Amino acid sequence: MRFMTLFKKELKEMLNLQNILIMVIMVVVLSMAGQGMSQAMEEGTEAMMEVNLCDLDDTDFSRNVVKFMTANLAKEEGSVNSVTLESDDYAKELKRLGVKNVLIIPKGFTDSVNNNETAEVRFVQKMTSLSAMGNQSTGSQIAVQYLSVAVKDVVYNVKQASGKLSQAEISFLDKPLKVSETTIVGSKSDNISSTLVLQMCSAQGMLVPMLMYILIIMSTNMMVNAVSTEKIDKTLETLLSSPISRLSVITAKMLAAAVVAAAQAAAYMFGMHNMMDSMLSSGGDGEYSQVLENLGLTLNAGQYILIGLQMFISILIVLSISLVLGILAQDVKSAQTLTMPVMAGAMVPFMLSMFLDINSLSPVLRYVVYAIPFTHSFCSSANVMFGNNTVFYGGLIYQVIFLIACLAFALRIFMSDRIFTMSLGVKKTKDKTPAE
Amino acid sequence: MDNGISTEKVLEVKGLSKMYKKGVYASEKVSFDVHKGEIFALIGPNGAGKTTTIRMISTLLQATEGDAIVAGHSILTEPEKVRKNITYLPDEAGAYKNMKGIDYLKFMAELYADNKSQAEEYTERGRQICELGDRLNDKIQSYSRGMQRKLLLARAIMSKPALAILDEPTSGLDIINALEIRRMIRKLAGEGMSFLLSSHNMLEIEYVSDRVGIIAKGHLLETGRAGELTEKYGAKNLEEVFEKVVTRV
Repeated sequence: MRFMTLFKKELKEMLNLQNILIMVIMVVVLSMAGQGMSQAMEEGTEAMMEVNLCDLDDTDFSRNVVKFMTANLAKEEGSVNSVTLESDDYAKELKRLGVKNVLIIPKGFTDSVNNNETAEVRFVQKMTSLSAMGNQSTGSQIAVQYLSVAVKDVVYNVKQASGKLSQAEISFLDKPLKVSETTIVGSKSDNISSTLVLQMCSAQGMLVPMLMYILIIMSTNMMVNAVSTEKIDKTLETLLSSPISRLSVITAKMLAAAVVAAAQAAAYMFGMHNMMDSMLSSGGDGEYSQVLENLGLTLNAGQYILIGLQMFISILIVLSISLVLGILAQDVKSAQTLTMPVMAGAMVPFMLSMFLDINSLSPVLRYVVYAIPFTHSFCSSANVMFGNNTVFYGGLIYQVIFLIACLAFALRIFMSDRIFTMSLGVKKTKDKTPAE
Repeated sequence: MDNGISTEKVLEVKGLSKMYKKGVYASEKVSFDVHKGEIFALIGPNGAGKTTTIRMISTLLQATEGDAIVAGHSILTEPEKVRKNITYLPDEAGAYKNMKGIDYLKFMAELYADNKSQAEEYTERGRQICELGDRLNDKIQSYSRGMQRKLLLARAIMSKPALAILDEPTSGLDIINALEIRRMIRKLAGEGMSFLLSSHNMLEIEYVSDRVGIIAKGHLLETGRAGELTEKYGAKNLEEVFEKVVTRV
């Protein structure tokens, strides 16, 4: 009985508004992420079953192979889209054709098969994101698998029709194809598997959003505490009645927090730069580093500054929102609760950017997510690396406008009586008489 | 004025009103003066409008109507100059807990002083007024409520402002410390500093103040010396005057 009374009291205190809100937001965020992932997986699977194929060999045999491949894919509701490449500039050709990948049957393919030699084919893939689900169609396995089956079918049918298979032919059928891969990023390309590139870049793709999230949480707490503590400890009235303007008070607070945030952003960027350098130099005598550099997937000093700038603007937005939230606090508990809107606003793009390429979401969902100003910072490294300049600079401009609006609002509140009369909770505000 | 108080007005409150909601006044057409070297006390029940009036004079809240002139400066048009001439000690005010007492005095002195030597002078005066000795080198979070109040009072008067506005100046202090503070206020008033006090403690008000203003439901109902008021209302003391005036509205 006594235990249950105590248990109920503890449960009631712990299951507060803040915890309930976190639960609700997590459910919404995870559901949204799940829907996005499901959409990405569906699109990825569809993309994998639609093989873009360029037959440069163009012999009776290769045409026959394509025919078999088309028939096999059709059974699985897939298709072969025959394309023609006009040059070896794959980046340009894929852009012209409007496709993300192409399987190339090179000249001499039939000769290799006739000589029972493993024939080489090339798979060219365009990377558009560093997110886990953003490159679902990445990889040559499905296309090459169907091509391999088609080659086996054709060879087997032809050879069997002409008599018994020789040992060399049996060995050939065991491994008829060898795949060479080319990965394209923007206008750059290199002969490497996109799966391998994605593995190499995944740390970088995950790290920026994680750092951004940590920075947002830290800055929110910093500013909410800075303002709410002044209010809760009743030092604010003393400060604002001293011979210093309110504008100076708010500027000093924002500037101090911005300096700390800028130092944090710079330190994290520097740390990330060192970490990426160490990671890439540890494998293949700098070979990986060279490949990523060729593909433009390494960041130069200017790009680090751009990403840092976008991080910094996000932090300033967080600080100005937190300034207003801090004014609303009545006690330590409400100050903690007040950090929730910022945390929730950051959690949505954080989770989505980790798993999805936000640029590939449906237009409505994409604009909803992009309306959250922090999203642009979470996607900044991917946008810079993949040359999504319009999205990057558009996001930067949007963030600056959002920041100005937030600052103007915070300033208006801080300069008015509301700094003393505003509080969290309608009921409490009504009940509380500002005058004594 | 008689009783050795100057005729020079440090504060002129002229029809000061504050409306929070339409038609609901926290303070309405409040008018009174405080002279140089005078201690004026505002007394009234909870929610009477004392703090609102004080906050308007301290430029923390904007007046809906009326004005107040502090040392020749309007709270409406020259709030920064007003703040230069006043110090305000709110009821239950706190200090920065992570600061040492001496650093708090230095910090506040630098906000009020025009130069470094003046800031040092203010800090030294504050150190002497608060009488906290070596404890000034400890963090404020380790102070008792009384110690913290003494530090805050020292802060409020160390710069010798034209007008010190003290809301419940001795709240949280024991009898001995409260007496010391009252004596200090009287001494500083004798040196020409003016005080606007707000308190619930009628004994304190009767002892320390030169004149009293009784405020209720946002209106200033009476002003005068404690002796004059007790005589006018045929009361034994200020408490009875307060009861008679407040229950009348």
